[in-house]
Amino acid sequence: MRLSLIAALLAATVGWQSQAHAQDKVRIATEGAYAPFNFKAPDGTLQGFDVDIAKALCEHAHLECTIVAQDWDGIIPGLLAKKYDAIVASMSITEERKKKVDFTDKYYQTPARFVEKKGANFTISKEGLKGKTIGAQRSTIHAQYLQDNYADVADIKLYDSQENADLDLTAGRLDLVLADSIVLLEGFLNKPDGKDFEFVGPELKDPKWFGEGAGIAVRPGDAKLKDALNKALAEIRKDGTYDKIDTKYFPFSIY
Amino acid sequence: MDLKGFGGQILVGAGLTLAVAALSLVFGLMIGGLGAAAKLSGRRTLRALADAYTTLVRGVPELLILLLLYFGGTVFLTWVAGEQVEVNGLGAGLFALSILCGAYTTEVLRAAVQGVPKGQIEAARALGMHRATIIRLVLLPQVWRLALPGLGNVWLVLLKDTSLISVVGLEELMRKSAIAAGATHQPFTFYAVAASVYLLFTIGSVLGISALERRARRGLARA
Repeated sequence: MRLSLIAALLAATVGWQSQAHAQDKVRIATEGAYAPFNFKAPDGTLQGFDVDIAKALCEHAHLECTIVAQDWDGIIPGLLAKKYDAIVASMSITEERKKKVDFTDKYYQTPARFVEKKGANFTISKEGLKGKTIGAQRSTIHAQYLQDNYADVADIKLYDSQENADLDLTAGRLDLVLADSIVLLEGFLNKPDGKDFEFVGPELKDPKWFGEGAGIAVRPGDAKLKDALNKALAEIRKDGTYDKIDTKYFPFSIY
Repeated sequence: MDLKGFGGQILVGAGLTLAVAALSLVFGLMIGGLGAAAKLSGRRTLRALADAYTTLVRGVPELLILLLLYFGGTVFLTWVAGEQVEVNGLGAGLFALSILCGAYTTEVLRAAVQGVPKGQIEAARALGMHRATIIRLVLLPQVWRLALPGLGNVWLVLLKDTSLISVVGLEELMRKSAIAAGATHQPFTFYAVAASVYLLFTIGSVLGISALERRARRGLARA
């Protein structure tokens, strides 16, 4: 009796995923902890630049989209396990990731930058960062850059989300944080607890680490969805929808 | 205290926490009843199975059990069904918590049954009562009284264990607080709020359990 009870319980709460789902219904995953690109609003809904772009693309490609939140650490495995069909979460297009997923064309590109406490005046170089504690989000191009360039001189701490890295910076557990310059600006520096912090060092955009911009990830071989999204992307760039979404969040174009 | 608009979401999470805990308690009690019966049965295999169950579940960290069921469950069900089947956070959480509750409840109920004086059962049998009547009139009321403190404890632990399901994405109280904490950069505020809500649930539960215990001991001489 116990076994059938458990089976019934499982059947009632398990989501049955059909192998060949209609192209019309697309599930999109985003992180939800990366303001202003994707974040959870107080009412519980997902909002942000990525979310708006995803909705606009779906509208133009005539797709019925649902947008779900997924923690960054499991976002690519979830795509490959067919929990969703596309990732629109400010994921940078890199060679490393291209081995696992296919990307659409880029939908924006912004440089990375370091942030420090005001007045610390760190020099961004191997000598200047010796012995310092630098934070970044795990599994990102920023973490990779730090590990390739500063792992031998500085103490690198990785976090499950950018928000947690920011929290440790304000708590004084980190000397610097490396992340996307817009995310640091809008999600941290312009917020009340970021007022004692500032950018330091140049904008970092070397394609070797910082990729070719943020793209939408789909499963390898899912050419139908990739082409539909690329076509829709070209459309919204041309007809002004992209610019409208851009101006909603930023005073300049981030393409 | 400024919750920056996240108050509503915290309440939603709190409601889900209560619902998951309550459902898990119901299933856990059912499993526990069967487990206790197995442990007290004459058959050696049943006893061994029940022992293995409680030892395993009480020996592995609860978080690990949840993760095993969440990830392993997907693999198992996919293999059984032949196509991609997904176990969602709620399903895995309910299943894991029910199994956890069942193991602890098995022990509580077993001890309670063994706490009923054997003489009473023998007397009832001498009076010619059927097995079912003995269970209904002699055993169960006293098992209830003896098990209540232990079951109350299991309930309180269950309430707190729901916070573990936050790691597989279920948006109950713990996860909602973490989301709010991250979004507003105010971890202490929201974690303190979450703690207060859990505490509120606990105080309410303790009051309820005390009332139940008082009623269960009615007529009994002061021990």
